[in-house]
Amino acid sequence: MSITGFSHKGRGVGVRDHQLILPSVVCSTHVSRKIANEVGAITFAHQNGCGIIGIDVPGVDNFFIDLANHPNVQSVLVVSLGCETIQGPELLPKINRELSRLLVIQESGGASGTYESGVTQAKQLRDNFKSEKARLDKLIVGLDLSRDTPNLSALKTGLTAAGFEVVVESEHAVSEHNLSKLMSAKAQVVISFPDENQPPTGFPLIPVINIASTSPLHMALASEFDLAQGSSVEEIIELINKVANGQKTRSEVSGIGEIVAPRSVRSV
Amino acid sequence: MSLTGYKRADGRWGFRNHVLILPLHQMLSAAARDVEKDSKGAVAVSHDWSQVVEKDHQRIIHSLAGNATNPNIYATIFLRLGTPAEDEVINLAKSYGKTKLIEVSLSEAKSIDRLRQMAIDRANTLLTEAKSEQRVAAPFSAMVLGLECGGSDAYSGITANPALGVASDELVAQGGTSILGETMEILGAEHLLAKRAITAAVGQQIIDVVARYEASINYEGIDIRGAQPSRGNIEGGLSTLEEKSLGAAKKAGNAQFTGVLEYAIAPSKAGLYFMDTPGHDIEQLTGFGAANVNITVFTTGRGTPTGSAVMPTIKVATNTEMATAIPDIIDLNSGTIADGTQTLEENGELIYKLIMDVANGQLTKAELGGHHEFNLSRLYGSTL
Repeated sequence: MSITGFSHKGRGVGVRDHQLILPSVVCSTHVSRKIANEVGAITFAHQNGCGIIGIDVPGVDNFFIDLANHPNVQSVLVVSLGCETIQGPELLPKINRELSRLLVIQESGGASGTYESGVTQAKQLRDNFKSEKARLDKLIVGLDLSRDTPNLSALKTGLTAAGFEVVVESEHAVSEHNLSKLMSAKAQVVISFPDENQPPTGFPLIPVINIASTSPLHMALASEFDLAQGSSVEEIIELINKVANGQKTRSEVSGIGEIVAPRSVRSV
Repeated sequence: MSLTGYKRADGRWGFRNHVLILPLHQMLSAAARDVEKDSKGAVAVSHDWSQVVEKDHQRIIHSLAGNATNPNIYATIFLRLGTPAEDEVINLAKSYGKTKLIEVSLSEAKSIDRLRQMAIDRANTLLTEAKSEQRVAAPFSAMVLGLECGGSDAYSGITANPALGVASDELVAQGGTSILGETMEILGAEHLLAKRAITAAVGQQIIDVVARYEASINYEGIDIRGAQPSRGNIEGGLSTLEEKSLGAAKKAGNAQFTGVLEYAIAPSKAGLYFMDTPGHDIEQLTGFGAANVNITVFTTGRGTPTGSAVMPTIKVATNTEMATAIPDIIDLNSGTIADGTQTLEENGELIYKLIMDVANGQLTKAELGGHHEFNLSRLYGSTL
């Protein structure tokens, strides 16, 4: 089955056509959310960009770069405060220059000026540079193994045979950390096996297909999962193809899941 | 000048009457934001906690339970999955006072859509109830004030911070409570603050907390005196961390220190306190929100728009140029002190009056802008 996605200059062919409003610091997350809500873009709340030290400085910087360069992204508006550690103006040259712009709150007349200018710029980026449809030759499928899954090798073999590249993350018992790593590996669709005691999850830039276990929590939340425990490899592949061609996952419909940047050092 | 507020059943005083939507799992944060948007005035916060027990578990549950029961809250609606881990937060919140605590469970709702609708319905009912509550005359001693600075510049230590110190001293003299935070920002000035402690033991606690802080940063292999002041501070004219600290500490005026608080822990008496918080603006606001703080005054040299869902946050500019350039962020300008058009005492008196006006219902710029930033602070095992 072929996959038709969106041609994103400098970012590759993506299976989604998202605009990203990227706050370079916690202080610009709120105005970023207002802009994103107004124009229908993706954004996220986070606590980074200022007061961070050590390996978290390049770690968060690289995470932001990976988000901005992800193939599912059509365009990026970086919103900076102006005095943060990870400075917006310095982030901009490090990300794909196609359809990427910067706004600085302290230089834009404050929050309301930034909001108005941000909405205008985001709409321009969206409307003046509509993405063309393009065939995606190799879909990267991420596997979030927050719990053990019995038929893993059969699943991997099946996905590879179906023509997908497979990347796996199983380091963490909570999906959001695995999802962040899979995003950095440029996964465009993720199959998530949440821990029995964790809910289904999502990652706003990437469609996540959640597969339930038979735990009491998962049984209670059955309607928020895409597939039940024991779904066959063929069923999973069929759903990946549908989702890659535009069908929304449950988590995309409900809008769940926070984007969580990797951190390992305290804030100053 | 008079003060009115909401007298809570547990004896605390609130100066707002919010209905807070608090998700107990990161996956419910989006639903919490939706409830804020679609209800008739509830406030919500988002966070990244997934209930996994980590090194910072106690810090996190105190942050969540404390904000849920801030005295400015009429009622909190917990959005929960229905797991035992959540009970720990809810039980801690119950132990903090008599804030009305409601639970809406995803396991019972069965779907996110239904959860959202249940929470919106509950929120709207609680908002109607909250509106029928009457403000009554409150003593000045009812107020718990938070002192914060962010985006400091060379004016901070000579304009806004000492002016806020005047207001803080006045509040403490009236029997109120004032909390200074940001351990990094007293590093280098701790010996001066320790001399102002009510007892030698409290003075030693101030010294110890700063030493513990510096050690926790050194643990990461980082020389904090090299990493600070931040680039933004240097561009604002600050030369060393000691200069930044001597200026930052002036927010606490000249009053005696009654005690030292751990992060996100409320004071048990009135007076001036120091709380061990990161300098990170939002981690500090979250710690204050968890510690009964009613209003935070936030001085800024560079200008920052952030605020809290549970506390009005008053922004005081250190310089007239910035106050003029971004008026929709700044509530009061202390740059007038450097301009020579106001004395420190005059400006400090204006800050004190603004605190009381805001307590009486005047909205801050951060409230008007809908700012509800909230972060869970973590130490990642770097404490000794």
